Amino acid sequence: MAMDEVDYEVFGNEMQYVEVELDPGEAAVGEAGAMMYMQDGIEMDTVFGDGSAQQGGFFGKLMGAGKRLITGESLFTTVFHNESNGKRRVAFAAPYPGKIIPLDLGDLGGTLICQKDSFLCAAKGVSLGIAFQRKIGVGLFGGEGFVMQKLDGDGLAFIHAGGTLKEVALAPGQTLRVDTGCVVAFQPSVDFDIQFAGKIKTALFGGEGLFFAVLRGPGKVWLQSLPLSRMADRIVRASPAAGGRGREEGSMLGGLALGGLLGGSDE
Amino acid sequence: MVSRPEFSARHFGPGSSDGGTPVVLVWRDQWLVVRRGVEVIHTLRAVEVEPAARGFNNAQLALQWTIDDDRHMVVLDSAAAAAFREVSPPALQHRLQPVAAVQRRTERRFRWGIALLAVLALLPVAALGLVLAFADPLAGWVVDRIPPSVEARIGESVLAQTRAQGKLITAGPAHEALQTIGRRLAGPEESLQFFVADRPEVNAFAAPGGIVVVNGGLLSLADSAEEVAGVLAHEIAHVELRHGLRQMVKSAGIRVLLSLAAGDYGQLAGWGAQLSELKFSRDAEREADSRGLSRLVGAEIDPSGLGRFFAKLESVEGAGGALPAVLSTHPATEERKAALEAALVQLPPVAVRPLGIEWPAVRAALESPRP
Ligand SMILES: [Zn+2]
Repeated sequence: MAMDEVDYEVFGNEMQYVEVELDPGEAAVGEAGAMMYMQDGIEMDTVFGDGSAQQGGFFGKLMGAGKRLITGESLFTTVFHNESNGKRRVAFAAPYPGKIIPLDLGDLGGTLICQKDSFLCAAKGVSLGIAFQRKIGVGLFGGEGFVMQKLDGDGLAFIHAGGTLKEVALAPGQTLRVDTGCVVAFQPSVDFDIQFAGKIKTALFGGEGLFFAVLRGPGKVWLQSLPLSRMADRIVRASPAAGGRGREEGSMLGGLALGGLLGGSDE
Repeated sequence: MVSRPEFSARHFGPGSSDGGTPVVLVWRDQWLVVRRGVEVIHTLRAVEVEPAARGFNNAQLALQWTIDDDRHMVVLDSAAAAAFREVSPPALQHRLQPVAAVQRRTERRFRWGIALLAVLALLPVAALGLVLAFADPLAGWVVDRIPPSVEARIGESVLAQTRAQGKLITAGPAHEALQTIGRRLAGPEESLQFFVADRPEVNAFAAPGGIVVVNGGLLSLADSAEEVAGVLAHEIAHVELRHGLRQMVKSAGIRVLLSLAAGDYGQLAGWGAQLSELKFSRDAEREADSRGLSRLVGAEIDPSGLGRFFAKLESVEGAGGALPAVLSTHPATEERKAALEAALVQLPPVAVRPLGIEWPAVRAALESPRP
């Protein structure tokens, strides 16, 4: 499949946006809410599904839509294509402080697993899919990690990491323990497992999640220093208008099951 | 020349890039050849490589080997791995079986986990359905275990609430008349208490613990003490049979479950206050009617009063007036009326002593403005 070659430039330091240059006829896909500006000649088109040509037939589209519904994504993807005769630019902005990571999926073996809020935009031809954490322990206790986003293709994709970005290359068998919320993306060759924080005292009074993500190489991993959920948690806790009490990230089922039972007491 | 199948994989280890380097795997008899482009980088015997299920969701097949303490690994995605397994020599193939088993187990556990989650999510709903289906026997079971002291305290709190609304008439002809009827109907050992509430709605209710409250509106509508006695006998039967308590338990239980199902714990408070709005079941009404009738007969009071009073209520309703509250809490079905009439006809002739209350005086007292 012909991938669209995309030139790009990232602007800003802590609040970044990426400007993507499209040749005549070229296109990019993005979350509609992430678009910042686009030049004359760029046409925006909302397509059903993820804008890739991989979903054949009605049922393929239906399945794709179902998956997007499950993850809470919009059912439609926005395709930005250059209808003019010259190069044109469209920009996508990061939703909160952090870094934009340009990734060439071709260099990474064609597939990348990333956290579901982290996708910003990609060359048209990159397919956006859903990947459930099928290791049951990870699914139950992995906090935000239950539903992941899967990017397939060999073009450029831009994902967003909150706070400061850390890129780690894990050798075969090398492990790294990470807060579940801090994992932005990893190659599919990386094992993602979950480990109980160990000491019940830490789990109860440490203030962070009860579980670590254990990443085992080989492969590359991208970490963020500031997960959105952590920032949101602090803001909610600091805001009397919002009730002044928030939920911890990385808790069981993302706070679904226990939030109601344990989160009900006043502080 | 026979072309050998080639499998694309990623190589990690010395000489490869951080994200792995694309390689091609080819079997040459017992030898596994790892090629990067056209360059052969490794040639391994089948027994040298260690297979394992690795990567995201255990979905990938990893083959590991060590050269001079350097660890090497090639990773195949699930589609390539399946084809690779087919053509592997027996020396490796039998060691690939456990890898497939790990992958199948991961998938199986995932499905069980999803099923379990679905069950957990549906549990409150299922419990609610069960309770709704078995609400009556369950409420009966609970009510049988509520001691009279608790019943009395519920009654007291209901009374206190009625009193707090400033609506009790505790002296005068209406109060006296009600006490007179009450004394005829129930002996002092039954410790029943009768109260007149200064409310215009035509209603009466019995709280647990033997507290019977009759609204002034009901007394005004009646034409004789016997009619009121019929209503009282019926209400006393509700107390005796603990119908109010049963309704409270039922509605409280359902509310608790509804709140739990909705995850809303704040709604649990304040459910007990609506006793006067509880609607009795058809069975409870029939039971209270027949028991009330026996009580009237036992007290030598003309038992036709209740029937007359209900006929009056219906005429009020038929005349375009609002449905009297007492009918909405004590539904007067055709079936119930028929049963009441049949029971009256079947009654043996009984001695009747008039209550001897000048009812117009009671009505006049209720209609005169009170301080
Ligand atoms: Zn009744």
